[in-house]
Amino acid sequence: MKRSSVGRRVFLVPLLGLLLVSPFAVLEYQRSPHRGLPYHDSFATDRAEEWKAFGGTWELINGTMRNDSDERGAKLLTGSMRWRDYSIEADVMLLGTGGDAGLVVRSSDEEEGVDSYTGYYAGLRNLDDTLTLGRAGHGWMEVTKPVVLNPGKVLANRWYHLKLLAVGCQLIATADLPSQTSNTTITVNDADCISSGRAGLRSYESGGVWRNVVIRPATESDVAAILSSAHLQGDQSSPSQNLGVTSLSSFHAPEADYPAPGLPSNPNTQPISSLKSFPVARPEEATVRGTVILTAPAMYVQDSGGGVLVENSAHEAVRVGDEVEVTGTVRPSNFSATLAGATVRVLWGGSPMPALSVTASQAATGAFDATFIEVEGRLQTKAYGNEDTLIFDFDSGLQSFRAIMKRGRGDALYDKLKLGSLMRIRGVSVVDPAYTENNVPFTLLVRSTDDVVVLAGPPWWSAGHLVAILTCLLLLALLSNYVYHRVNNWRLRAIAEEREHLAFEMHDTLAQGFAGIGFQLEAIRTGVPEEFSGMHRQIDFASELVRHSHAEARRTVDMLRPQQLESQGLLGVLSACAHRLVAGGSVAIEAKAVGDVQPIPLRISDNLYRIGQEALANAVRHAHPRTLSILLEYGKNSVRLNLSDDGAGFVQREDLGGFGLLGMRKRAASISAHLDIVSQLGQGTLVTVMAALPPRITFLSWPQLLYKFLREKYRNATTIEPPHPGAYRG
Amino acid sequence: MMKSCDTQLRARGWNVRSSLLLLGAVALLGLMGCQRGSRIEIAVIPRTSGAMMWEPEHVGAQAAALKLGARVYWNAPTREDDIEGQIALVQRVSFQNYQGIILAPDQSRALITPVRRAIERGLAVVVIGSPLPMPPGGRLSYVLNDEEAGGRIAGARLASLLHCQGSVAILGIDRDISGIVTRARSLEEFLASACPAVRVVKRDGSFNIPHEQQVAEETLRANPDLDAVVALTSTSTLGALTALKNIRTIHRICVIGFDPDSLFRLENPNLDSLVLEDTQRMGAEGVRIIVGKIHGVSGPRMTQIEPVLVTRENVNSAEVRQLTTMDWRPEPFAATWRIVQ
Repeated sequence: MKRSSVGRRVFLVPLLGLLLVSPFAVLEYQRSPHRGLPYHDSFATDRAEEWKAFGGTWELINGTMRNDSDERGAKLLTGSMRWRDYSIEADVMLLGTGGDAGLVVRSSDEEEGVDSYTGYYAGLRNLDDTLTLGRAGHGWMEVTKPVVLNPGKVLANRWYHLKLLAVGCQLIATADLPSQTSNTTITVNDADCISSGRAGLRSYESGGVWRNVVIRPATESDVAAILSSAHLQGDQSSPSQNLGVTSLSSFHAPEADYPAPGLPSNPNTQPISSLKSFPVARPEEATVRGTVILTAPAMYVQDSGGGVLVENSAHEAVRVGDEVEVTGTVRPSNFSATLAGATVRVLWGGSPMPALSVTASQAATGAFDATFIEVEGRLQTKAYGNEDTLIFDFDSGLQSFRAIMKRGRGDALYDKLKLGSLMRIRGVSVVDPAYTENNVPFTLLVRSTDDVVVLAGPPWWSAGHLVAILTCLLLLALLSNYVYHRVNNWRLRAIAEEREHLAFEMHDTLAQGFAGIGFQLEAIRTGVPEEFSGMHRQIDFASELVRHSHAEARRTVDMLRPQQLESQGLLGVLSACAHRLVAGGSVAIEAKAVGDVQPIPLRISDNLYRIGQEALANAVRHAHPRTLSILLEYGKNSVRLNLSDDGAGFVQREDLGGFGLLGMRKRAASISAHLDIVSQLGQGTLVTVMAALPPRITFLSWPQLLYKFLREKYRNATTIEPPHPGAYRG
Repeated sequence: MMKSCDTQLRARGWNVRSSLLLLGAVALLGLMGCQRGSRIEIAVIPRTSGAMMWEPEHVGAQAAALKLGARVYWNAPTREDDIEGQIALVQRVSFQNYQGIILAPDQSRALITPVRRAIERGLAVVVIGSPLPMPPGGRLSYVLNDEEAGGRIAGARLASLLHCQGSVAILGIDRDISGIVTRARSLEEFLASACPAVRVVKRDGSFNIPHEQQVAEETLRANPDLDAVVALTSTSTLGALTALKNIRTIHRICVIGFDPDSLFRLENPNLDSLVLEDTQRMGAEGVRIIVGKIHGVSGPRMTQIEPVLVTRENVNSAEVRQLTTMDWRPEPFAATWRIVQ
């Protein structure tokens, strides 16, 4: 015993220690400034769930992260708020002119907005051909340096390698061309520096492409290495300066640098809506002008009248939002047209067109074919499609439709979307059977995950949830019932213990007192001379009273001691009671139990015991039997106690009271038992008590019990007659 | 004896329970106190941010907030035509812990409902720049650019340039912004009364630069005898200047622009002058009005601030530099950056 407790202690103490220490260890790991570092992007495997966008149109294309939007200050962030000293580097390409693209460190407090974050940013800007390093805090301040790359200009559609390092309050940005050894470096000390934050990508008024994003912890030795490398390359430094006034240059393009259209626009353009009316038999050429609304999986261009599909286009790189001129052969269809063999000329870059908000019913008519629309619907199914796409089917009241999106960054969204969610989707509406499969009236070609907004989750009240609620309620009811019965049992046990206590008190006081009085009376009688016969008679009478009272007290004590009920069972305690009552006499006691013995609830057994005790006492006191029989019969859901004697018996009357019969009837009624007393003069007496036992609920029996319960309920309900209509008239 | 023990036990239990409850109540009260805080929080939402017209508002608001012990939250949509974005921003701050909003609306009508809801939630609102069709009063005040004065200033400048002869195009009439419409009307009325001989051509505009350039090109081609262009927005100013680069005109056309995005535009020989809104003063006034309202001090319901004409002669003056500074950091907190290498 001792050895096992020692062994248990040896096992428990380290376990407790581990349990106490592990939350702190986990917390420490979570707070570590190097958790998750070093980091390398997974763009090549089309995975980017750990990145979060604030503005822009971010997509994974060919192993790179691409933002096609010219939004000012579009950001994509990743990492931990606790990252302190680290570097981020990546290959960066600007997609447009007049803006910048680069890297972010120690970012926090991010929102959509131009400089709506707190952190540091370094980027290449082709507005003024500079490397810029600045600090944002819902405002912007920067330092710029002209690039020393060859050529000394920042060109669009060319890869550069950028690195931004933050160690302590020192920030270093470097930029170089992969093919060149020279680079441009800016180093800045920020006296009131931001100490930690996430890393990310950012662009301003020019889209960008990023690849090979690597984030590593950094130390002073990394700083020294970069600085010495920059020194060896003869990078010229600028005198130290305070921030503030210099920031003007970052925002204001000298007018000469503003990009002008390549060529004047064609004055003979057609409205796109007119293309539907072009002859089918003799194809004709047409030129339209509009805004690019989609580039993949097909190019669509839209003007104020509608949209058109542009096929087989020879074009320079276009982005969503570009103002273009398209010339091609018109192929009209029912709802829109296609320009085949088209030539696309970009007039100027622009902002993406806002979506037209329509209902699904309106879009289902085909009136918005090839147009950028926004529509709401409830998600019914989601699936992976061919060619790396995601397919979503929606229900919108009387209509249904489909949305197709490139997988790209959509994987994270796909996992998060729950069927039944109410969503708003923006995309180009198409009625082409190649997309609709003629299962839905229209399909939306979605540009990116940013065009999908969840308005509300699936309704909470579903069949599954209702079943769960009912199950919980049922379990709660069962638990309450169990607790109630336990509490009741405890209450009865407490009462029994209190009685036990009283019994002991009475035994120790009253019973001893009576015995003492008896002895004294005996002593007095012995001392009184025989000639005082009257006194002898009185003393005898007093002794008799004492003996009687002592016996009653003993009986009361016996009645207050139910503990034996639990240890010996009902039959056992009744038999013991009978033996006590006839102690010293020649009355035979027979006690027997028949049937399948089952546990009797304490409340029922206690009352049966009291009834039996009273009946036995009556038999011993009044009937003077030779034999006392106690028979306990166990039924399926009942117990019958039969107490019989072969004594004097009595004449039964309707109003028979006394002999504790009132108490017996009350006790029987309290447990809903049936009490029956049969007696005849000279023939003895039979006392029968029949009590129902609560049914035993098992795994197999509960359906039957439930059916019986409901049947009883129904029977009770149907036996109640409906009131007569005239019953309530006055 | 038993009864007194039981009473003692019950009393002890009551004491423990009531002590715990009291402790909990005190802790909650303490938390509530922490939550409320004593600093006034004001959300400042211009039409867009990171632009020369609006960053000075940031400067003015921040400086006034610092003096009055308030805190400013600054954010805006990334484009001036992103009306939905601005509505979403106003809606969001209305449900956060701000006591006031200073708003330069991107559209006169679309912002009525979000502003009304903010006022119903107990926020003080100051609309700056251009008004909404809601009367001032209660929690709503206006600090507006004096558009009538702006139109007259441009008209007077035109009159002096053209000597009340010739033709002028008014471009960039963005009907989303009521102030711009007022600006155009005031200019037209001034010309009609002061220079009735001047012919006026008008074109609507937007915040889309390429679109404005297209409109300017079309206007110039349709009116080859134009003498001047008044561009009522920064995008139409830029569009007009770019169009003038691409199109050969009979004679030099001078441009007067409003709300420019850069003073460097004055380097363009076609640009004569610029009319600037004093957004810095609007921001400062807005903060003062809101703080005053919260402290129960009633302020003016409507304030009009006259714009400033900037020419090559005064572009480097202290007044204009102050008007166009984008260094929004209040002086005691200005970070010092040094280029180390």
